This record gives sequence, C-alpha cells and structure tokens, in this order.
Amino acid sequence: MSKLAEQIKGAAKKLLAEQKVNLVVGFTEGSLPLRGTPFFARTPEEADQLTWNLDCENNLANYLRKKPGKVAVVAKGCDVRSIVALIKENQLNRDNLYIIGVPCSGMIDRKKVTDLLGSQEVLAIEENGDTVVIKGSNSSVTAKIADLLHNSCGDCSYGNPVVYDELIGELLPKKEAADFNEIKEFEAKTTAERRAFMNSEFSKCIRCYACRNACPMCYCEECFVDCNQPEWIGKSAYNVEDNILFQVVRVFHLAGRCVDCGACERACPMGINLRLLTRKPVKDVKELFNAEAGVNLEDKPALATFTNDDSEAFLLKE
Amino acid sequence: MIISKKDIPGFLDKLISEYQVFAPVQEGSFTLFKPISSGTDVDLTAANTKLPAKEIFFPQSEKLFSYNVTEEGAKVEETLDEQKKVIFGVRPCDARSLVLLDNVFDNDKFQDPYYLTKRANTIMIGIGCNTPLSTCFCTSVNGSPFDTKGLDLLLVDTGDAYVVEVISDKGKALAEQASLAAAADADKIAAAKVKEAATVTCQVNIDGLKDKLDVNFYWPIWDKIHEKCLGCGACTYLCPTCHCFDIVDDAKDCNGCRVRNWDSCAFPIFTLHGSGHNPRTSNKERYRQRIMHKFKYFVDNFNEIACVGCGRCINNCPVNLDIRVVLEDVRGSEARLDS
Amino acid sequence: MKNPYLPLPMKLVKNFTETEDKLIHTFTLQFLSEEDEKSFPYMPGQFAELCVFGKGEAPFGMASSPTEPGFLKFSIAKVGVVSTALHLMEEGNMVGVRGPLGNYYPVDELKGKNVVIIGGGFAFTTLRSLATYMLQPEHRGDYGDITVIYGARNPGLLLYKEELAAWDQNPNINLVTTIDSAVDGWNGRVGFIPSVTEEVAPSSENTYAIVCGPPVMIKFTIPVLEKLGFPANRIIMSLENRMKCGIGMCGRCNVGGKYVCKDGPVFTRAQLNELPGEY
Repeated sequence: MSKLAEQIKGAAKKLLAEQKVNLVVGFTEGSLPLRGTPFFARTPEEADQLTWNLDCENNLANYLRKKPGKVAVVAKGCDVRSIVALIKENQLNRDNLYIIGVPCSGMIDRKKVTDLLGSQEVLAIEENGDTVVIKGSNSSVTAKIADLLHNSCGDCSYGNPVVYDELIGELLPKKEAADFNEIKEFEAKTTAERRAFMNSEFSKCIRCYACRNACPMCYCEECFVDCNQPEWIGKSAYNVEDNILFQVVRVFHLAGRCVDCGACERACPMGINLRLLTRKPVKDVKELFNAEAGVNLEDKPALATFTNDDSEAFLLKE
Repeated sequence: MIISKKDIPGFLDKLISEYQVFAPVQEGSFTLFKPISSGTDVDLTAANTKLPAKEIFFPQSEKLFSYNVTEEGAKVEETLDEQKKVIFGVRPCDARSLVLLDNVFDNDKFQDPYYLTKRANTIMIGIGCNTPLSTCFCTSVNGSPFDTKGLDLLLVDTGDAYVVEVISDKGKALAEQASLAAAADADKIAAAKVKEAATVTCQVNIDGLKDKLDVNFYWPIWDKIHEKCLGCGACTYLCPTCHCFDIVDDAKDCNGCRVRNWDSCAFPIFTLHGSGHNPRTSNKERYRQRIMHKFKYFVDNFNEIACVGCGRCINNCPVNLDIRVVLEDVRGSEARLDS
Repeated sequence: MKNPYLPLPMKLVKNFTETEDKLIHTFTLQFLSEEDEKSFPYMPGQFAELCVFGKGEAPFGMASSPTEPGFLKFSIAKVGVVSTALHLMEEGNMVGVRGPLGNYYPVDELKGKNVVIIGGGFAFTTLRSLATYMLQPEHRGDYGDITVIYGARNPGLLLYKEELAAWDQNPNINLVTTIDSAVDGWNGRVGFIPSVTEEVAPSSENTYAIVCGPPVMIKFTIPVLEKLGFPANRIIMSLENRMKCGIGMCGRCNVGGKYVCKDGPVFTRAQLNELPGEY
C-alpha cells in the first residue's frame, strides 16, 4: 500500500508541477484509525500529503462536478464507474478530467472491525500482508483483510478502473460477478415480511440525507424531498412511510445509474441496510437489459436506450 | 449513597411505575435513549448513545398543536407532554448540552413551552465516564467525565456498584424515596479513585479561537475548510447542542397538526428566501455558519461554547471532516492564508 | 407560560388585488373579539407569522398601523406555498396569526427629527404602517418634516394607490413617487430610487432615513445616503431573512449572532456594519 501511495504522490506532483491540472482530488490520512479522508492538492507540496490505504472508502466522483479547470482524481474501480456514469449524463467533461486509476481489491469496513473488538474502542490498525492487527484499549485481534471488507467491495467485480489516463500499481485478476443471493432471499419473502423489514430499518432513519449527499449520482439541483410546491413527501421523520418513500424514490431514480459503490450505506449514521434496496434495481437492470452502470464509455445508459428486444415483462401482469 | 449493580433493574422498575423512564437501549450496533418498560432493558456498556439525550426534550419530530377549522372559527389544541420523566444513564456531556440549550429555548424574549415543560418535569440521572473515548474532548470545552451540570444524580461506576452523588434537591428526593443505602467510606474512596483515573486523552486547544472567529469571517481559510463536506445533516442531527428546526403542517385540508422537525444549517434550503435569494449561497457559508454558531455567536450571546466535546460528529461524519482539525485550522489561520 | 407557537384565528374580510400584475394582494384580517385585539399590541415595523391551516405559516410585516384599530393588513406577493394559498382564499375564511414579532421602527427616537422614508417595490408595507402612524394627528406633531420616496417598476406595481393620491394632497407629508421608465399618463418622476433620492432627499441634518426595498435598491441607495451625510446610526433598514419560528429559536435567520426575527427585523446601518453580510 505504501508503495502505491508513493506512486500516487509522484503522479500528482508531476501533474501539478507541469500544470497539467490545477487540482488533484485524492485521499490523505484521516484523524481516526482506519480512516482515509478526501483531500484536495493544489500544489506539489500539498500532493505530499496524498496517501493510499485500505481506508480510502469515499467515492471521490462526488467532488468532481462543477470544479473549474482541469482536475485529476485518484480513482478506484467504483469511483471510475461513477465518473463514467456522470460523463454519460453530461455532468463531467472527460477532457477536463485526468484519471489516476488505482486497482482496488476492497476497502475495510470499520463496523466489522469494531464488532471484532466488542465494546473496546479501536485505537490503531496495522496492516500485515493479508491480515491486519486491530489494537483496542485492552487487547488486540488479528483478522484477515478479506473478512473485513465492505459488503459492496465483496460484491464488486470492477476493482480495476474501467477508464484511466494513468494506472498506479498492477491490474488485478478478473473477478467473477457476484451473485445476488441476498436480494433473491429478500425477493422470496412475503410482502408482509418485506414490509416488516422496511418498517424496522426505516424507523431508524433520521432524514439527515447523508445517503443522498454521499451518492455521486444524487446530484439533482432540487431533490424531490426538498421541493415544497408540490410537496411530494412529508418532512417529518416520525412517519416511517415517508422515510421509506424517500429511499424508494431515491433508489428508483438510481435504477440503471447506481454503480453499487455502497457510499450511501457507509454514510448512513444509523446503520440502515441501504444496499439491500439499491442492489435490487442493479440486479433487475442487469437481468432485464444486460446492462451495468458506468462500465464503459461506449454503451448508452440503460434507461436512455430502447430496442425492440427490450424485456417488457414488468409491463404485463399475468 | 450507593446502589449495587444487581439492584439497578429493581430500582428502575420502581421508577417505571411512577415515571416515564428513558435509558440507553441496544438498537442493532448502537444504543439509543428509549422509554423502557423493564429495568433489565438498559444497556450502559456503550460509551454513549448514537443520538444525544436532546432528542427526549427536542424530538426530531414533535407535534406542537392540532387544529380544526370550520366556518365559525379555528379550534387550536396545544399538545404538551407533561409526563413526569426520568432519564437514566445520561453522560455528563449530554446533560450539560441541555443546560446550554436552556439558553435557546428560554431566551430573553420567549419561552418554548414544549421543551421547558419536559425539562421541568424530568429528573436526570447521569453516569460518569470511567473510560472516555479517544474522540471525547469534553475537558477542552469546559466539561469533564464526571461533570454534574444538568444532573440531579450522578452515578460513579466502582465495579459492582454505583456510588450515587446527590447533585440537586430533585435528585435527593428521588434517592431518598428509593431508600438508597449510604455509601461506606471505602466506597467513597473507590469512587474518588475512579474519577481520578478517568482521563480524557484528547485535548483540543481553543486558546485564541474566539479571537480568530471574531475577525476571520471573510478570510480565505473558509474556502478550504468545507471542501470535503458533503452538506448532509449527520453532524447536526447527532449533535447534542444543534437545535435548528423547521415548522411544517401535517394536515388533510384544514384539519391536522403543526409539527416541528429538526433542520440543519448544512442544507441549502434552510436559508433560501422566497424570492430565490440565499444569504448562504454555498457549502462554504453553511459550514462556516456551523462553526461560527458554536464557537462565536453562542459565546457572544450566552458566554458559553455550544459544543460539549461528545465526539459524535467526529465518529459519524461520512468523510471524516473532524471538528478538532477544523478548530485547529481556524486557530492557525491567517488573514492572507492562500494557496 | 404563554405559548408563542399558537396562532390567533382571524377572519379574512378582504382579499384585494393590489397590483396590476395581480401578484400582490392586500389582506385585511379582522380580530374575532376585543380580547383578541388586546392580545396583539403592535408597532410599525413588526411582523407576524400568518398561517393558512393545512399549508403552513410564513412571516409578513404588518402594513396596517396600530392607529387603525379592529383589523390587520398585510400586502403579500405570491411566491411560496403559504402566500399562494393566501391568494386563493375567500373572504370569510379563517387565517391564523402569530405575533406581533420582532422589534419596530424607533418611533420614539424619531421624535423631533425629520424623517425620509425610502421604499422600493412591494417592500413598502411596513413603511406604509410607519407613515400612517406618524401622520396620525396625535402623533404628527412629534415629528419634523416627513418625506416619502417610493418607487416601482411601473405605476401599476405601486401599492396603496388611493392612499398615495391622498398623501399627494396632504401638506403634512411630502410624497415623491417614481417609476423605472416613462409610460403614458404618468406625471410623477422617472428614475431609479438611488438617483431620485440623491435629488430630492431632505438635508441629512437632524434627519433619519428609513429604507426598505429589494437588495439591489438597498445596495445603491445606501451610498447615496452616506454621500448626503446621513451617519450610519441614522440609516434604518428592515431585513427579510427566511424565518420559521419568529422567536429566535429555530436558527435560520441569524446575521452573525443576531436573529432577524427576535433582535430585528429593524436594524440601523451602524448595527449591520458590525455584522457579517448574510442577508
């Protein structure tokens, strides 16, 4: 990892020194154990603070819209997919973007780490090959990195950036597409069971909109929840129906656009299982149209194309 | 006084018969304050609850009154929660946040009956922090792990028992009513030792911070500080002293109720004027407002910093925008800091 | 403890289309009882939260003067949910009113002084309240010369046309109206408020200026007043930040540490100079 970090720094310094870009968006060490944090380098000196680690979980595509001038971004697989999806929606101009691609085999989920230590606070984490040593206030635990990855990372088969101007490190071996077992299980439940799950998850929602704001694809100038003429949705959080409506509409709006980066779920302070919802349209769009968002620059977005062969099963009720 | 840990459920069960009792309860991977129906529901293992105790007095959504409008007039019915309450297991930072919020809801001109009625009818039983987290910085903002401000009773965990310190008359009456045993000298010494051993390792230097904020509103420092902020409301909603709200109608035709909901200075529409004009046009102005409000305006108005150092915003920010780092950056800022 | 959130039901007795573009209506609300009226003692410059039950509430300055008993008047542009609902209301409907809120124009401090009132567009509402208050026979003697400079884009957008006509004939007040560009049948001045002010404003000596209008008008009028020698503490403005609670709690209308709803909306230029420009 530290080798990658050095290479990223080098690439960023060069770009800035040669004035090929005026900003490099990447990660720097955060203030907590296992916490990389988004960082904006505008000079070669600032680029020295860039890093790369198992904790660079934020989707940096979020920071690229409306940035003036030419911008470079340190982008892992999911960031690049979001960038591609945003380019297709005319939100980013490929010509003003320099992608420093970094193959990624997954980022560590701090919640899983915390669970390993029980009620102890995680004070430090040391990487050691395939494992990490997690140090708590009273004891330490060694765990396999593979067991600690975000679920979205486990399901991701696009760790290699699909588009880049420069690649840092080595491309990873191809990974099989994940099954959608947890979605299938959820689909198999009765309506009442699904309803009960939704009610229980969304009774936790505090309507802070961290999920929406963390999502690179949620860029509407005015989100439907903020609109008051007409008022599409109740603003009060005590009504679980409205909390569900908010998320369901968000998820539908992301159909064919969501790259399944998991940023929404990671941002949620209340630990709501959001990917169970966002992955359902990911699965449907793949099954119905054999399409995935942001996997190449050529294909049109799934919902922007029509062919006579398109499956219409959802239009018919048998 | 003292109460053995095994007697806590019984103690709470007695309280439940007379009061609505709130206590930290396990909810998935964290705890939240919830009304409990049994003394065994309580979970005091977590350092703190996910949402602060403010939500009991100032809930995320609160009905203010209901109304019914006819040709003859409008019937407006106030909805005041006058139930007697006990908050059990509140941490000193959260208790102190309520003392700060009292300034807002009981200001120089108006009183908020919803908040103040609940405050007046509530007994606060706090629990001191034997092992503060690495993100706790209460001692930097005029608090401490065994601070008693805003509490009626304070529990000190000495292992098998809690030594109970009486802070107020309300607390005294409750302790006497519960016939708590007197603490032996040995217990008192044990409690004193626990308090002494509890250390807050994280220090945030706020010397000179206010002086900087007094003059740096237009400085370039603000152009950088907010840059990674996503503009969500997580930090404000989880903050024990953030108190901004919106007022909405929840109604069918002319019958319904007026409700107040948490709102956040991080949201663009918070200050958006009907004309389309917005005094805080971008994330920069909005993030600056959050810092200014807590560390300057509140100090100007009430002579207190509106931060209790609980660390919730640090642990829950989706992008690790750490308020400790921000304050340090502000403190170190120069008028001509440029890059 | 008085509950500041509870609205006082009032009856809408007149929903009058004030401007030619029909976007501003003046609403006359009647108190339901003498007791209700006593519970609402207000002064020029104060505002109230008006609610349309089922839609919500929004803040509006009183256009009526406390010297006009029995009712309240508000002139409201159709911009948001509440104002749109108000525009659609029928005479006889019930409206909720919460207030009076905020501070008011310093009518005591103005005693013995000349006053120039400068208004633009539909921000003339509380200025009308102030002028009406000062023109009241029992108050008129308290003040020196009263000048009103009032402008709108075109004659049809001027508020209170009948009243303006009456003021024009009233020796107790010097009224100057202006429109942005000439139209047939207009006998008043043509020109923007700042230049008209420069031309017709009274001497700044012993004079207070009270200014309300859209941000661009304020921006260019203040330098004119300064040039004319008005010190910052004798230039008075009323701010219009977004508000909800109206009682200094909900947190959105602050300018620096001051809440427009509770500490304002009336501020002197001198006070605003000490605050950040978030309005």
